[in-house]
Amino acid sequence: MKIKAKLSKIRKDWVLYAMLLPALVYFIIFNVIPLIGMKLAFEDYRIIGKNVWVGWKYFDILFSSPAFLNVLKNTIIISAMKIVFIFPIPIILSLLINEVRTGPFRKYVQSVVYLPHFLSWVVIAGIWISLLNPVDGGVNVIRNLFHLPSIDFMTSKDHIRWVLLFSEMWRSAGWDSILYMAAIMKISPSLYEAARIDGASSLLQMRYITLPGLMSTVITVFILNLGFFMNAGFDQVFNLINDSVISVVDILDTYVYRIGILNAQYSYATAASLFKGAIGVVLILGTHFISKKISGKGVW
Amino acid sequence: MKKLLILIFSALLIFTMTACTNNAADTSKAKNSDGQTVIRVVTKDDGPSNPESVKYYNTLEKALKRDENLNVKFQLVEVPSGDYSEKLNLMLTGGDIPDLIYFQGGDQQMAQQNLLENLTPYVKNSKYIKNILQPYDKERLKNYPYLLWIKPLDQKTPVIRKDWFDKMTTSQKLMANPTPDNYYAFLKELVTTHPGGDKKPAYGITVAGDIAELDSTFQMAFGINQTWLKNSDGTYVFSKVSNNEKELLTYYHKLYTDGILDPQYITKQWDTKEKAFYDGDTAVISGTNGKVIDLYNGKMTQVNGKQAELVVLPAAKGEYQGFGATDVTKESRGYAISSQSKHKDLVFKVLDYLASPKGQMFDRLGFENEDYKIDNGQIVLTDKYYNEWFARYWEPSEFNIDKPLKTPLLSEPAVKSQDLVKQAYTQDNNFILPDKFVTNWDAMQNLYKEYATDIITGKRPVSDFDKFVQEWNKAGGDELTKYANQKLK
Repeated sequence: MKIKAKLSKIRKDWVLYAMLLPALVYFIIFNVIPLIGMKLAFEDYRIIGKNVWVGWKYFDILFSSPAFLNVLKNTIIISAMKIVFIFPIPIILSLLINEVRTGPFRKYVQSVVYLPHFLSWVVIAGIWISLLNPVDGGVNVIRNLFHLPSIDFMTSKDHIRWVLLFSEMWRSAGWDSILYMAAIMKISPSLYEAARIDGASSLLQMRYITLPGLMSTVITVFILNLGFFMNAGFDQVFNLINDSVISVVDILDTYVYRIGILNAQYSYATAASLFKGAIGVVLILGTHFISKKISGKGVW
Repeated sequence: MKKLLILIFSALLIFTMTACTNNAADTSKAKNSDGQTVIRVVTKDDGPSNPESVKYYNTLEKALKRDENLNVKFQLVEVPSGDYSEKLNLMLTGGDIPDLIYFQGGDQQMAQQNLLENLTPYVKNSKYIKNILQPYDKERLKNYPYLLWIKPLDQKTPVIRKDWFDKMTTSQKLMANPTPDNYYAFLKELVTTHPGGDKKPAYGITVAGDIAELDSTFQMAFGINQTWLKNSDGTYVFSKVSNNEKELLTYYHKLYTDGILDPQYITKQWDTKEKAFYDGDTAVISGTNGKVIDLYNGKMTQVNGKQAELVVLPAAKGEYQGFGATDVTKESRGYAISSQSKHKDLVFKVLDYLASPKGQMFDRLGFENEDYKIDNGQIVLTDKYYNEWFARYWEPSEFNIDKPLKTPLLSEPAVKSQDLVKQAYTQDNNFILPDKFVTNWDAMQNLYKEYATDIITGKRPVSDFDKFVQEWNKAGGDELTKYANQKLK
């Protein structure tokens, strides 16, 4: 009877369920079915015949490899830098855009900051390599105007991670701010009106109305972002890496690509990816429960 | 509600699993309604969506029927040409295995899984292929009998535009005696006298991203004539950790600090390298002998006029002279026949036909009245041939067809580059790396690349090379050297 009632509810709202279907199919194909393939990390793959069970063999090789430990270190450093320095930027940007009152200028600002999101990393890498060129790149030309020496940012081990950070920030800050802009729109205008009547300045309104209104979105996005902590940016690193800086920017994804895909060591690559995924799950669950305990807010 | 969601979720899972199930075409029975045997072919540049590819294979079917009475239908498999090697390997790993497969890497893992046919008996019994194999092809087939790729040697040669070359006072000395010092003097003159005016060229030489192209010109002069160098006590040392390499990197460092080597070579790609060459920002670049030099020459004369025709520079001369040793462990790319194919003999007959005079005439020259014309019994190649045609299969050094060529296959500089490479041919002594070294090898290569780049660009002193050797040995070099010494004994 219960199922019947639910089926009739689905029939009634079938358009909404139909809209959900592509997303469900997408997640099943790209996120659920690959989970079955995880067992490859414990097997020697055979194209002809059955795979051979090898247990923890590939994990042992993985953790005893100094190269793996180095790429793990790089992944953690680059991801941590991105979380710490990039995560607040879209929030600040959305607060600033919210303060832009004139319609056309606001639209112009929004378009300009969203635009880099639509460029591929191949194009972005070309732009940044030109911009940071030590001979005639824009950044070094400005440095030279102030009698500062040119820096070859792309080949400098001290600077390349910052190049990754700022290029990612430039590409994603605008686009990521959309979510916060939507959350700001949801805040009741009557709260601002009351605050203005009470004489609150723009800054105080931001501090006591906008920011608290944004908090649940910020927490949810932060926790979900942590799930992708180990994704330090394959496309970005792949396009910006060069021989001079391999040791400081080679990350798990580029390592898995080289060893697993190019050298067809699929079991080894699956073991590395499984390890990466497990860390993501631990981080997401850990942060969710801690956040629930402290603030009462989590992902669900 | 939860139960219902689980129900929907499971149904979708089954649906998508079915949709994702391998549905590779089974060609085991594989005779179509016309009685033709279906052969599935996967190659990088040919797919069913490319009309030129379809035309090529349709014509080949007719030629095979006419000349050899082989009733074949080719079925092309679509694989994106970008990242071809990865996409192909994933396709094969998924169990979709065509009869004839073109590899550009990744074949070794497939051979280890017994997926590729041993071609030795086929070649031995062939009518044409055994006669056009080059010495290095024979050696490669002996070591690794799964891939076939009869093409010219692929070493890279340096080139410069002739009008600039003629203006240099040091050019004749370089050609007569191309020592590293004479090379230095020649490149230095280029960047100090600027024969192109307007501070052009800014740099003497550039490469695309790494120093492999520099090595092809200079490393043999510094005594690196093989991957594993023999010490005076009879033991072998990996060339990249030898003293010869240290001297070579010192030389590159000098080129870099004296403004001869492009300071942006690390971030250069093949397209930006070529642009710098045609725009006159750099004087010398290296390209694969033959066809690539032909392309460089065509583009350079198109942009800068006939006077800018290319001059091929010799390999630097020192302890040895040459453009690098030829790897004979295996073909780096080529065609393989699937061990699972039901038509292995037939597939090889197709490969053999393409080595015959009639097959060569078609594969290398293209379509009559489009890519070439017959004029008074002589073959005249058209612009379409020079701009678009490429031989999909074999290109032996001897091109025997029944009609003479009125127009040459390649430009003069391209032929010159091939001659220079052929004259300098030496065989390498490297070997196929066993699987157990693969993960360490990646780290060892990266270690070399980073130290070499840092030494060249002055981020580290040359003396740090000894530190690199220690780290390389620790990262797996000791074990590999031990293995090499047993293997090369």
